[in-house]
Amino acid sequence: MAPSATPDSPPATPISDNEENSLQPFFVLHKGVPQISERKASGPGKTRRKICLSPTSPTAAEKSKVDVVDEEDGHQYKQLRIEAFDLVWSRIENTIKDVLREINISVFDEIHSWLRQCFSTIRSSGTPGVSEITRSYPLFTDLTCRQIFTGLVFTRNVEFVDDLLTFQELGEHLKSCGCHVCNLSSLDFSTKNGLGGCLRSLLRRLVMVTPETADIAILASWYCEEGNCSPLVVIIDDMERCSGSVLAEFIMLLSEWVIKIPVILIMGITTTIDAPRSLLPSNALQKLCPCKFTLGSPAERMDSIVEAVLLKSCFGFTVGYKVANFLRNYFLKQDGTVTSFIRALKIACAKHFYMEPLSFMARGFLEDDSQSFWSAKCVHLPEGVLKCAFDLPSCEKNKMAEETSENLANGLSDLKNSVKNWASVVLCLYEAGKFQNMLLLDILCEALDPALCNSNALDNHVEIGNDSAKPSSLDHYPLGGQYAGLRKGSFISQAVSRVRDLPLVPLSQLLKNWRKQSKEITELQDKVKELQSMLKHEENGKSLTRAAADTLKRPSRSAWNMEKDTKTVNDKAARLMLYMVRKYLKPIECVPFHEIICFKLVDILQSTLIGDPRRRIQLDLLNSRNYLQCNCCSKSGDAILPSMHDTSILYTLAQEHGDLINLHDWFQSFKTIVLQPITKGKQKVKKSPSSKKGKYMNDSQDTSEALIQARFCRALTELRITGLFRMPSKRRPDFVQRVAFGL
Amino acid sequence: MDLMDGDEEEFGFSRNYFLAKELGGSAKKSTSKISDINVVDEQDLRAAASKLAPKHEREMTSLLNSYESLYSKWTFELRCGFSLLMYGYGSKRALIEDFASTALIDSGVVVINGYLQSINIKQAVVTIAETLREQLKTKRSLTGNMSKVHQPFSSLSMDDLLAFLEGSKTKDNDCFVCVVIHNIDGPALRDCESQQSLARMASCSHIRMVASIDNVNAPLLWDKKMVHTQFSWCWYHVPTFAPYKVEGIFFPLVLINDGKTQSAKTAAIVLQSLTPNAQSVFKVLAEYQLSHSEEGGMPVSGLYTICRERFLVSSQITLNSYLTEFKDHELVKTRRHADGHDCFYIPLASEELEKVLQEIA
Repeated sequence: MAPSATPDSPPATPISDNEENSLQPFFVLHKGVPQISERKASGPGKTRRKICLSPTSPTAAEKSKVDVVDEEDGHQYKQLRIEAFDLVWSRIENTIKDVLREINISVFDEIHSWLRQCFSTIRSSGTPGVSEITRSYPLFTDLTCRQIFTGLVFTRNVEFVDDLLTFQELGEHLKSCGCHVCNLSSLDFSTKNGLGGCLRSLLRRLVMVTPETADIAILASWYCEEGNCSPLVVIIDDMERCSGSVLAEFIMLLSEWVIKIPVILIMGITTTIDAPRSLLPSNALQKLCPCKFTLGSPAERMDSIVEAVLLKSCFGFTVGYKVANFLRNYFLKQDGTVTSFIRALKIACAKHFYMEPLSFMARGFLEDDSQSFWSAKCVHLPEGVLKCAFDLPSCEKNKMAEETSENLANGLSDLKNSVKNWASVVLCLYEAGKFQNMLLLDILCEALDPALCNSNALDNHVEIGNDSAKPSSLDHYPLGGQYAGLRKGSFISQAVSRVRDLPLVPLSQLLKNWRKQSKEITELQDKVKELQSMLKHEENGKSLTRAAADTLKRPSRSAWNMEKDTKTVNDKAARLMLYMVRKYLKPIECVPFHEIICFKLVDILQSTLIGDPRRRIQLDLLNSRNYLQCNCCSKSGDAILPSMHDTSILYTLAQEHGDLINLHDWFQSFKTIVLQPITKGKQKVKKSPSSKKGKYMNDSQDTSEALIQARFCRALTELRITGLFRMPSKRRPDFVQRVAFGL
Repeated sequence: MDLMDGDEEEFGFSRNYFLAKELGGSAKKSTSKISDINVVDEQDLRAAASKLAPKHEREMTSLLNSYESLYSKWTFELRCGFSLLMYGYGSKRALIEDFASTALIDSGVVVINGYLQSINIKQAVVTIAETLREQLKTKRSLTGNMSKVHQPFSSLSMDDLLAFLEGSKTKDNDCFVCVVIHNIDGPALRDCESQQSLARMASCSHIRMVASIDNVNAPLLWDKKMVHTQFSWCWYHVPTFAPYKVEGIFFPLVLINDGKTQSAKTAAIVLQSLTPNAQSVFKVLAEYQLSHSEEGGMPVSGLYTICRERFLVSSQITLNSYLTEFKDHELVKTRRHADGHDCFYIPLASEELEKVLQEIA
């Protein structure tokens, strides 16, 4: 076995590679030792400090003391970053939850009122008494009431993983409305556990007991105890993954009891309305009385989440251009679930707070009065930390005056304002883009592009004067076909040009929305207000002319004039939009200190989020020398050397074969390689890919036949563990089969 | 991530596939046989295999040491609620256990060896729950409020156990038990049900998971629900090039007898994981085979009579279930006896069989 504990690691429980433990199915490595002091929690991985206290200050005598302080500070800052992560992420998570709830609330309410209706229909033939309910034989009532009211909730998303939370929330919502609710999943309806299994889970969740025998009578008596006056809702989130026969049995059973226990089913369906028909037999289908509900689409949810988390308010964490693009592509092209997006965001957030030494300052973004928070905090920062802040690349670029705590606090406030303004403009763009069915994510990615900043800088000479409150001044703003600086066909330029073509009513709606979105920027507020009043004026005019036109039955001259006027308002609006883009759409990566809140390392995120074992394991084998960096193999270039890792040799040799590899031939070429320097030319070489005979020592390996065969066997076993080969079968006893082709 | 990249990759992949197929078809298929290799005696081969010295030991050590710098990152991520998944060529047992025993001293660590042939997940969960309870107890006694009375975990159902691991809704990121799973893609865990249980376990708030995979297709074990909401993996590529010593024990050496024979050791390991009754049934068969070495095997009826006499089985069905289990693990095989009956035998030589009996005694 490889050496266990590393030489310089603390002598904790030595990982003796103890045979006994390695052959136990499981064992306790060690028990938890409670934390006695907070400090201990750091473990051995001594905080890898990035905050480098400037080594210039102390004299040699003081140095050791500083080191101690340094170590403690490092730990303290790590703790602060952990706290900041907890705080920031919990805020983001709660916001996401709220957003999703907001999206679903109307459907939830719809479902609730339907539930009430169903319940009163069930109870219309009278409420059975306690004695009636607990009796084991059925009640004689109208047979039509034997049907179970069933809400079919269409998720409009084949990936049901996004809707798990939705159904949880639905359960909570209905519970808060006074229903008895039980959430089940397809796992509860497995053929293995049968009807008993799902009844047991039902009883477990509702009655909170796990009975020996699953008997629905237990549910009946529980229902009586609970007061017998509210419906019992059973939610199955992924109906299509249930076992059809078990679900059918479950439905048949419930239908027998539906008068006594007013059960109402709610089932999530990811595909089409045919799903229940293809899953359930007709006798079970007859027992259902369905009603259809539809949830929002993933794209809608995505937009709302992006809006809330990355734009509406700044939580002290945001992503850079490349990361945003990666997230967008991952959502649109690979995974398609909002859940994965959230997970990716969480990973990015954790990575950010781990890697960015100053990220603990991000807490200030959550404060109401960020400026004073930062002012108070920055004063106490040690000099090293301050230096660290002013050494950030974004600061280097825009060299600041002095490296004082005050400047840092101001810089952070500026950052916050800049982000706010940027977000307002993106939202305004989105309002316009909505008319073109644009995704917010697309606009966001474009607006984050640092290249935008450079092009804006070029155009800044057309800056509008200070008296720009007059919308007329916007008239001088260039409105060329390509909106200089913006790429043609980009989402932003599309949105701007869309504004020009908007008819009157949507335009006034757009202006209203702009006013809402640009609350933070007074300058824009005023301009939008003015445009609105212009538009109102025209609207009045238009309604007059329309009345006139109606009487004449043909467009009058004045109506044509009006049209032209609207066009000028459109132009003005488009110019205003462009102005906003130029002035306020400053991508975060162009703002000093943005590193403190902005995560930009897309490679790290990608490799953590999506492993690529198939490719990477093959590469490991083909390039073992890159990892091991030994002297013996590294010099040789691509040639296979006997000193290389055995499995690596074997796998490299396999590359020359087709999908089937003859074991005998493979062994012979392996042997040839292994024996290379010693038995020069003696071997009958069938397929020796490396003709160069180096003079490398053979690692003082014993080269007896048994050893070579053992090495071959072990290498093959290891390849088998990686799953890259299929072993010889009865049909092909002399061949192994390659499973992976290419990387 | 670019679309073009993806296409190119796809193209490269299919090209490789067809090239390989073509190579297999057009070039004259080699007709050499394994038997052409002068395979040494099985004993010698095993002896040699067990004595193989790893190459590049020093380099492997320094590679392993280089991962130590990641430990603090890993602890940070575990604390944030993620699980860690290690992949890359080479055994990662030593690496993960070193990480667990040096960087996770505050929390209990339970190791599951997924490379073994059979694992009872429920028992593992019981152990994990016990570890957690102890941890919570010491924590509570520090803070002063004692917990309620408990019943023994072994009597609880899986659902109750998981509910205990889930704990109260209040998030406590600092109190967790770390479950290390070597080879979460191992043979005993490869079925859907095991993965479901592991996924449910991983999603509990008091559990953090550190697992390793070695098979290139391991991600196919999980659906999106497991990946995104339950396991919540952070992937780490950490090739170690360390030999798969224990992980490889259970695979036959490919050059010997078509790789079909069981060694005494693997047989003993499988047997140890079975119930005492099953072991005794195996013993009956083994004793018979040792005393009647000239016969082809033991007829079922004879086996059943003896087992019944010794109160090992109550019905033919129970016996059959044991025999199926044995057959699945290739501990027992059937062949047609001279008189036409099917009979059972253990595909091991007498000395090996005796060794097995000693080990399970």
